[in-house]
Amino acid sequence: MVSAETTISWVLRVGVLLSATLLASGLFLGENVLWLGVLMLILTPFLRVSFAALYFLLHKDLRFFVITLYVILMLVIGSLLKI
Amino acid sequence: MEFALYLIIFLFGILAGGLGATLGLGGGVLMILFFTLVVNIPIHKAVALSLLAVIASSSMAGSVYVHDRMTNIRLAMVLETCTVPGAVIGAFLALAMPGRIVEAVLATVLLYAGATSVRQVRSEKIVLHEDRLGIGGEYYDEARKSTVRYSVDRLKTGLFASLLAGLVSGIVGIGGGIIKVPIMNFIMKVPIKASAATSNFMVGVTAAASAVVYFSEGVVDLQMAVPTVFGIIIGALIGTRLLSQTQSPYLRTLLGFILLFFSGMMFLKAGGVLVW
Repeated sequence: MVSAETTISWVLRVGVLLSATLLASGLFLGENVLWLGVLMLILTPFLRVSFAALYFLLHKDLRFFVITLYVILMLVIGSLLKI
Repeated sequence: MEFALYLIIFLFGILAGGLGATLGLGGGVLMILFFTLVVNIPIHKAVALSLLAVIASSSMAGSVYVHDRMTNIRLAMVLETCTVPGAVIGAFLALAMPGRIVEAVLATVLLYAGATSVRQVRSEKIVLHEDRLGIGGEYYDEARKSTVRYSVDRLKTGLFASLLAGLVSGIVGIGGGIIKVPIMNFIMKVPIKASAATSNFMVGVTAAASAVVYFSEGVVDLQMAVPTVFGIIIGALIGTRLLSQTQSPYLRTLLGFILLFFSGMMFLKAGGVLVW
């Protein structure tokens, strides 16, 4: 329980810091790196949900594993849709 | 000139991030008002940037408050099955709408949020019934020196309200904590502390679900994203370090009146009365 929460808080910290680093270097390296920085920021909550899925799987909590997979599926569909 | 603008965005980001961490707001409401009323950029661009601010703010807060063990991840996931599709649909709807309609929706959301803040709608009632889904929870209440157990009431209504919260968040670029906390607390009878922590978890995911749509449609201003995100990160760091989360009733009421004032401003802007 403790380790899962600690892991998630680390995932969030690393995600935000990585994104901030990319954004800062993007100011000098150009739009492509800025683009990556924004993408990293948007992906951080996706990672958070993925870790929750992993947590439920490890605890053999299959009902919530499936629910979380459904949320991930919705997130992925949302990112693939185009007008 | 450009530099001055970025500096102002950065400084306001610090303010929004700090207040967000202190008042338990995602900072999204403050950012969207700032981008539309002060920076005066098109509303769709403002919404996209505000969503980034919400993600940064939620992730920063989550990395600190996740230790509180008040976050009910199971409940969050169940509600996310509705908020995420809502947030994706909301983002597509917003992109298809004229800016003025988005502004009118924002004004309405501010009116609702302001009214609930002023009236201090909050429920202290805790229900305990058979928890078939296993989404009830418990946490240790520091103030009461005891463990608080709770179950979740009226799940169906909560799910429907969550879908609406997702839609709204996708349209106006707020994470929707200001809507989700009352849904969980008032409708579903989840204790206020657990509601706030769980809402913070959900807000980042909901915002990301809409942000990815704005991002892939190319609405995110990459240059302005830099001072926005940096401002929020630094503000959140200061806010979480220096100040503990305040739940002062006076502050809440004051915030409510401020939101009502800006709701009026947004209605005027949407109606074309307020132009600059």
